Amino acid sequence: MGDKKTVDARGMACPGPIAKLTRAYREAKNGDVIEILATDQGFIPDIKAWIESTGNKLIELKQDGGVIRAVIEVTAKK
Amino acid sequence: MNGEKVLVVGGGAGGLLVSNLLVGDGREVTLVTNNPEHYFQPANLFIAFKGESPESYKRSVESLLDPKVRLILDKLSKLDLGNRTALTERGKRLEYDYVIVAAGARMDYNSLPGMKENFEMFGDYYSSPEAAVKVWNTVSRMKNGKLIIGVPDLIIKCPPAPHKGVFLAAEFFKKEKRDVTVELLYPSPHIYTEAELAKTIESKMKSFSNIEYRTSFLIDSVDKDRKVVIGMNGEEIKYDALVLIPFHKGPEIDVNPAEARDDDGFIKVDKRKLNITSYDDAFAIGDCNNAPTSKTGVAAHLGAFVVWKRINGRNAEYSGRTNCPLITDDEAIFVISDYDHKPVGQRFSRLKRLMEDLFVAMYFPSLRYPRKFEPIFDVYFNATEPNILGEKGW
Repeated sequence: MGDKKTVDARGMACPGPIAKLTRAYREAKNGDVIEILATDQGFIPDIKAWIESTGNKLIELKQDGGVIRAVIEVTAKK
Repeated sequence: MNGEKVLVVGGGAGGLLVSNLLVGDGREVTLVTNNPEHYFQPANLFIAFKGESPESYKRSVESLLDPKVRLILDKLSKLDLGNRTALTERGKRLEYDYVIVAAGARMDYNSLPGMKENFEMFGDYYSSPEAAVKVWNTVSRMKNGKLIIGVPDLIIKCPPAPHKGVFLAAEFFKKEKRDVTVELLYPSPHIYTEAELAKTIESKMKSFSNIEYRTSFLIDSVDKDRKVVIGMNGEEIKYDALVLIPFHKGPEIDVNPAEARDDDGFIKVDKRKLNITSYDDAFAIGDCNNAPTSKTGVAAHLGAFVVWKRINGRNAEYSGRTNCPLITDDEAIFVISDYDHKPVGQRFSRLKRLMEDLFVAMYFPSLRYPRKFEPIFDVYFNATEPNILGEKGW
């Protein structure tokens, strides 16, 4: 079982939530879970594109009020 | 005058501006910096890819300060927010009524295996003018092969600077008719962090036959012996020369309480008022703070004005405004956003490139005489607010 880390990128427009996710992903290992909170609407297509191109696993993607919550499982590190 | 003793930490754009503004009110301002020289950081690109001289973009800190500001050339090592005191490395103890930390970001080469050795070999255009000269020494001698500009992390000064480097390098190789490809390795799923702007930048990149790029490429390490960049998924990309954008961390100041800094050492502030969390007599502006906006000179500039006004009892706030120029050799766009607006759509134009050149020309005097230049900046910033440019873009 991996570790779980939450990345709070709410209220962050530029350079955006992917910047914070990149930092958290560097520290993570396969099996870890990263939860990202964001308010930038562009984050929904971005995280889908990121998952598709990096080959990690999207466990959950939900929007509640103005807050987007994405949960990913790290699976694509060597 | 109440609150007359002001301590400013750092001799960058933010520190110089706020010092010159506050001393003009009749306050007693002390600026502490360990670097006697101030340089125009974006010019590192012109040094690295056009071979320009670093000397044209350097001035002494002293020459950019109102003579009434007391300048201490020393490193600030400790800051005690509760007791309103600070200590320099050489043991000078300072007291203040207000402190403004404008110490910038610290470059970190140790967060990625192989980065430090690569920096020593190829330099970069982030760390210093001298490191940019190193890039030029490589670029100007390359006859063929591949120059990679790699972006391991996105919390960096001037987010479009990696792209600027790619464009300027590609232009140089094209003009010189050299068989060199420039490749950008970028971690986000689009070639810029914001999708719409990414399309504009991508189509410009495609108009160059010697530019390649990879998105969602997460750099894990560098193997200098085999000359490969290794991705987190194990993929390897070969280079002949490699410029890596260093990681950015908060300044090396021992701040008490320690909770005033985040995990990366950035100083925690209220993102609009810019006061250091829970202290109304302490502020942090520019790259050293944790405001959720770009690390850019414009944030330091606008932050300096916000803090100056707030210390004078006015209710000014920082909107998170960015204005990062993305230049090619002859065109430019500006990444304009704030806390409430994503970057507005942009079209490359020659006029915007000219505006960037005009800004470079007025940079040093605008630091020394901020009150005189404020009306010019105001006209520009007001006319280009994200909610004014809106859907139509610029």
